[in-house]
Amino acid sequence: MSKGDTLGEFEHLTLLAVFRLGDDAYGMRVRREIAERTKRDVTIGAVYTTLDRLAAKGLLTSALSDPTPERGGRAKRSFRVTGLGIASLNRARQELGSMLEGIAFPLSGGAR
Amino acid sequence: MKPPLLAQALLFAAAGPSEAEYIAGDLEEEFAIIREAGGRAAARRWYSWQVARSVCALLQLRIRSGELTQAVLIASLCVAAPLLLLDRLWRFVYSQIPLKDGLHRAPEYLIFNALCVCTCAAALGAWAASTWASSRSPGSKSRALALAFAAVIAVLIALWASAASAPAGYIVTLSLAVPASALLTFAWRRSR
Repeated sequence: MSKGDTLGEFEHLTLLAVFRLGDDAYGMRVRREIAERTKRDVTIGAVYTTLDRLAAKGLLTSALSDPTPERGGRAKRSFRVTGLGIASLNRARQELGSMLEGIAFPLSGGAR
Repeated sequence: MKPPLLAQALLFAAAGPSEAEYIAGDLEEEFAIIREAGGRAAARRWYSWQVARSVCALLQLRIRSGELTQAVLIASLCVAAPLLLLDRLWRFVYSQIPLKDGLHRAPEYLIFNALCVCTCAAALGAWAASTWASSRSPGSKSRALALAFAAVIAVLIALWASAASAPAGYIVTLSLAVPASALLTFAWRRSR
């Protein structure tokens, strides 16, 4: 497996956010989904750069929709997870599960 | 109420018109939500802060889309090509003056001229690679086409730019630098 086939941490979170949002996955919703669930302060720029990278890897597809008044008359770019993206999520989950096997959480000795 | 104009201008400058359109739409949608929840000042602060922190990422997005690369290439060619043209013109003018014909060039002048040739070579190579390899993993046929095209153009420019001073130097520089630049661009695009 080449380096480009594996998911980085933020790529993983972004792909999961797109999957969770289904048909309603676009930049702002993805950003809020990640921010709310992980309590991280994520910027729209970071989200779009990652979405673009995932689309380049073939894990996402995107489509532009018509402009709407609530968006100041601007178009929306929606994303959808591809079959390859789902396979990649399954593999990442399997790898993580395998690595976590036999470890009891919470771990002791962490920073306070 | 509209978002801060300065931040909006920065967003369009960093992301480019095509990408900024939907990113601005997303930000405006969230701007309205934050304004209702926290007031106008908080929403304006949030919008400006989002744009300021996104500038680097948006530039990266723009480079990846090829838009910024094309702009830089065109700008480099627009500077270097007229300088070479001017050099040709002055060489012609001097050739018409009996005592000035065949004068030796100062080394700084030749270095500057070579710099222009190198800029043209790098820009042409990268442009050829970007144009032929629109996909992220270009095949060997596209690569060969891009390299052949870059090399032909390079030799033509070198022949045109070279005169009595350093024709071999120009030709060698361009013939090697343009395909090298095209190969580097291919490698860079593959690594993104």
